[in-house]
Amino acid sequence: MPSGALLLQSIILGLLLGGLYALLAAGLTLYFGIMRVVMIAHSAFLILAAYLAWWTNDRLGIDPLLSMVVTVPLFFGAGVLLQRGLLSRLRPVTLTMMSVLITFAIALIIEGLLGYVFSGTQRRIQLGYGTESFNLFGARVAVVKLIAFALAAVSLAGLYVLMKRTQFGWALRATIQHPDAARLVGIDTERTAGFGFGLGLATAAVGGTALSLDTTIYPSLHWHWIGPLMAIIVVGGLGSVPGAAAAALVLGLAQSLLQIPMGATWAQTVFYVALFATLAVRPQGFFGGRLAQRF
Amino acid sequence: MSEIELVDVQAGYGRAAPVLRGFSVSVPAGSVVCLVGPNGAGKSTVLKVASGLLSPRSGRVMVGGKDLTGAGPQKMLAEGVALVLQGHSVFREMTVEENVLLGGYTLKDKAAKSRRAKFVQELFPVVGERWHSLAGLLSGGQQKQVEFARSLMVDPKVVLLDEPSMGLDPKATSTIFEQVARMRDAGTAVLLVEQNARRALQTADLGCVLDLGRVHISGPAADLLADPQLGELYLGGRPAEKPPVP
Repeated sequence: MPSGALLLQSIILGLLLGGLYALLAAGLTLYFGIMRVVMIAHSAFLILAAYLAWWTNDRLGIDPLLSMVVTVPLFFGAGVLLQRGLLSRLRPVTLTMMSVLITFAIALIIEGLLGYVFSGTQRRIQLGYGTESFNLFGARVAVVKLIAFALAAVSLAGLYVLMKRTQFGWALRATIQHPDAARLVGIDTERTAGFGFGLGLATAAVGGTALSLDTTIYPSLHWHWIGPLMAIIVVGGLGSVPGAAAAALVLGLAQSLLQIPMGATWAQTVFYVALFATLAVRPQGFFGGRLAQRF
Repeated sequence: MSEIELVDVQAGYGRAAPVLRGFSVSVPAGSVVCLVGPNGAGKSTVLKVASGLLSPRSGRVMVGGKDLTGAGPQKMLAEGVALVLQGHSVFREMTVEENVLLGGYTLKDKAAKSRRAKFVQELFPVVGERWHSLAGLLSGGQQKQVEFARSLMVDPKVVLLDEPSMGLDPKATSTIFEQVARMRDAGTAVLLVEQNARRALQTADLGCVLDLGRVHISGPAADLLADPQLGELYLGGRPAEKPPVP
């Protein structure tokens, strides 16, 4: 039986981890909601952002968080270009299937480029505050984990405000929910979808930076992430950002708690068990309701 | 004066044979014109051409006397032509307020948008009553009224309605046709496509029977309703001896 302190530690770490998962999965569920695109390359972009954060710190000697000044707009632009130049040209009938193949290829290209430029050597950001932690009700919480969680929380709150309170957010939600009706009220749905896609990729820039603070990175790391992230968006309900956030928190917590009796490797299987259970019992997801209809 | 006029329009999909073969219709200001006809006659295609969703192969689309042939849906909306789609097209996971205000997406003047929002709430009381509800939680008839309200936000010259009573129970259908009449009374012309032809003609001022992509007959709606031959052929039987109150 785990001690109370260990249990508390696992719960806190699980929630922090879940918050980060929520941000990492937000973009993935947005792509699907906007265009029915399964973006296999999302986690490769995460790792690319993590590498750029590491490079900023290692070569320029500045805080990796500052890399976001460049990576967020850069990824946003890349997302718009990717959607407008490539994905929007696919035939609607085969869009979802073809998007898997195309984004799989993009993931391979990013992995290859990272290996070519940075080599296959494992990298880790060395920060002055990297080993610092503080006591929270008897549990030790690493500062970098808290920073990653705070980044995720602030980004998701910003995303929520953008979607709920701005004209663009309304247009994006309308485009997700009923593209034809959106077009008929005067929304340029193609342009909106392009910006929405850019927004999804911008979350990858923030998520990758947050990830880099506390993770050893290497070019093929994205394959480790794509499975759990896909599981999160299916459990949360494809297309639903709040659904993905709720699923991320629950699964992050479950993973952290299962690490006590099962160890880190087996605890990871919770994502796949949840994925199979969702597909068998409630294919539309547990938190999001109808397919791709919610924000 | 006609708010919208289709003149000798030929239109179809891809390389297939044309659906509309020299079709013409005119919607006078402040009137309801109803298109009726059998399945496949081309009724919905007329609305697609009129709203800019489908470009005609030949012929002209005139709005307020201006030739807008080939213009897209955004241009047609800007010129005062709004389309309400067949079935339900509310943004289900957005509130009624968000749905209605999105109808004024192209309006830059916030005060004008707010005035229109107030106007449509008065015109469709249920919209005001359910202002903060999620649109997807409303009944079919209520959702349709939200769609009507949304389409009126830009103060269009003409609203195109594609099968507004589809899937609704008789009570909701009655309400919908009452609301169509209210739209007309508020000064908006309506071009209505409807399977429930007899009920639609009772609301309309003018009727137009469409068959095989052409106008078979047109005239005052009351005359079409009273024509027993037309009733047998297109309106599902003889005219009712005592027409229900619209």
